[in-house]
Amino acid sequence: MATIKVQDLRKEFVTDTSTVVAIENVSFEVGGHEFVSVVGPSGCGKSTLLNILSGIESATRGTVDITEGDRKAKLGYVFQSARLLPWRSVIDNLLFVQSSRGPQVRARCERYLDMVQLSHTAKQYPGQLSGGMQQRVGIARAFSIEPDLLLMDEPFSHLDAITARSLRRELHVMWQETGKTVLFVTHDVSEAVELSTRIIMLAKGGRLVADLPVELPFPRDPASDAVALARADLLRRFESLDLLAT
Amino acid sequence: MSAVAALRTFAVSPPARRVHSLLRHTRSARILSWVGFVAAWQLVVPLLPTDLVPTPSEVAVFMWNELRMDTVAPHTVYESFSLSFQRLAVGLFLAFAIGVPLGLLMGMRRWADWFLHDFVVVGLAMPSLVWALVAGMWFGFGDLAPVVTVTLAAVTFVVINVAEGVRNVPKELLDMGGAYGVGRYATIRHVIFPSLMPFFFAALRYGLANAWKGLVLAEVWASTEGAGWVIKFWYDAHRSQGIVGYALFFIIVAIFIERIVFGRLSGWVFRWRPSDDRRAPEPEPADRDEPIPAAVSAATPGRR
Repeated sequence: MATIKVQDLRKEFVTDTSTVVAIENVSFEVGGHEFVSVVGPSGCGKSTLLNILSGIESATRGTVDITEGDRKAKLGYVFQSARLLPWRSVIDNLLFVQSSRGPQVRARCERYLDMVQLSHTAKQYPGQLSGGMQQRVGIARAFSIEPDLLLMDEPFSHLDAITARSLRRELHVMWQETGKTVLFVTHDVSEAVELSTRIIMLAKGGRLVADLPVELPFPRDPASDAVALARADLLRRFESLDLLAT
Repeated sequence: MSAVAALRTFAVSPPARRVHSLLRHTRSARILSWVGFVAAWQLVVPLLPTDLVPTPSEVAVFMWNELRMDTVAPHTVYESFSLSFQRLAVGLFLAFAIGVPLGLLMGMRRWADWFLHDFVVVGLAMPSLVWALVAGMWFGFGDLAPVVTVTLAAVTFVVINVAEGVRNVPKELLDMGGAYGVGRYATIRHVIFPSLMPFFFAALRYGLANAWKGLVLAEVWASTEGAGWVIKFWYDAHRSQGIVGYALFFIIVAIFIERIVFGRLSGWVFRWRPSDDRRAPEPEPADRDEPIPAAVSAATPGRR
């Protein structure tokens, strides 16, 4: 099972006139089969953290170690928008990110499309799908490479509430069934409480200010008292840390 | 409302309202404008104190005879346009062979953009006539001057469009490929090249339009055959219907290339672009609230 070790991570963006610190001395570890949410206000460096973990961006300082046993872990990434190639069919979008070809790989891609209930759209182009369907293709794409670690960057933030709720339930089932380690970025505390086994809080300036377990049994009904209490507790912590005001 | 319905309305309306009702519909208004133009042309020309302006009927008869290869020109319309097309194709091929690498360089490297930018602007501003005259002086009569004119007239359109296309390759798709470890070759083939296609088409369209005019001019000045040269032949023969007729052949060919060749080609290349009637609707809320079907669990590998 994939593990993440982040040590003293710092990321600066240098412009012509100033230096902006996006992440400041962040350290944490994530073990196998954990579903960890990173929450915090807009601009606190959540997406930057994921981009560094995925290799899209490099850190200014610090180390990131993502391993599966004694080898480098394979990563799947679900972005805020689906980021599908509009000129390739749905199934070809899944095949595009595969490291090998062949009938077995194709069958695997078709299986994951079926998991998100979109096998009937395999030959369609992304432009023919609704926003929610495109995001489900993005999730199927991430799962189709059978990653050791799944990185998700506010994957439901662009969707309407009903579609987002449906996709959260699908994601939870897939996580439980496949046993992947998930690092999930969101600014929605309710979403984090509903899905996570642990929540990491970032504050403005990219500082890690809290790392809390969520000890509630699954499945979690977002309308239940237990989830509401946990959410209220987290929001109180946010307020006491003055996170919401910043 | 269709053109047929518009004509039906026309038939039952008082005369003053008939023309107005036709003008209210795009297709019937366009047909009416052309019919009016040709009728006015046919009526006005006999009143002019010159026989150097042909009537539409004279032009139509000339074009029909040319198509039947009943001509006094040394080359038929088919031979002339065939040769011009060959020159156009070779010139455009060279324009893309030179322009695409330069455009890629300008799009990817800022120093190349700074270095070449002014030359590209000069090339865009240069009239095709100048390229035709210069190429005629340099290379004399033959195939070379028209081909070089086509290349010079089109190359800057190719450079500027390809450079702009490279700058517009979606970064989020490149990042997506990078996050999944997609290789360089696959990224070029499946991300960069398809996102350049609209710019290739723009380059082809504008380059062709400019090159087409340059080709005619070069054939007038620096050739002894080709469609442009035949226009000069009819000019020398004082046969204005020949000039107008060949100009119409050029227009017909240009429309054919634009509508049939480019239209179908772009329809195929951009078949992935959504149209409103093909986009899937969001499912009804009732569907979403249904529990995850058993097929999800059954299809899931590695279940514990």
